[in-house]
Amino acid sequence: MENFFLTLLVGLLIVVISMLYRVIKGPTVYDRLNGLGVVGTSTILILITIGFIDERVDMFVDIAIAYALLGFISLIVLAKFLSD
Amino acid sequence: MVNYIAIIFILFGFFFVSVAAIGVLRLPDFYTRMHASGKSETLGVMLTLIGFVIYNGFNLVSLKMMLVSAFILLGNPIGTHAISRAAFYSGLEPWRKKDN
Repeated sequence: MENFFLTLLVGLLIVVISMLYRVIKGPTVYDRLNGLGVVGTSTILILITIGFIDERVDMFVDIAIAYALLGFISLIVLAKFLSD
Repeated sequence: MVNYIAIIFILFGFFFVSVAAIGVLRLPDFYTRMHASGKSETLGVMLTLIGFVIYNGFNLVSLKMMLVSAFILLGNPIGTHAISRAAFYSGLEPWRKKDN
């Protein structure tokens, strides 16, 4: 089962690194924001997967909750700031 | 047996997450990219978290994972809607097919 989680971790890291292409090269600023949103959502899965590999899920799931809240709030704030 | 069910859920979730990533990379316009990341990403993350909950069993950590899942279900479409609303009000034109 640990090999499965390691493979899942590599796949999610490939997803995040390919999103950095859209963040760097995106034609408008909204494309960059969209790519950052996808990175933030995938990072929650990466954190819990690292928790399963280390067998300390009870610590990493709290970090995942805080990351989800902060990512959502920063997305909303940046969208309100850019719409003015 | 429980591990196999969890693996099936996690693989379906990772399939939807990678489909969202391919859509954000390949689609031609900002609004179509939002369409890819808004729905497919939410479904993929929720399926993967349900797989994690099935693998972990029933305790407080699983309850926190279900809390993250419910928060993603509420928060991800709202964030997508806010960004695309900001883009539309700032005058970004949707993509159209070229006339011949």
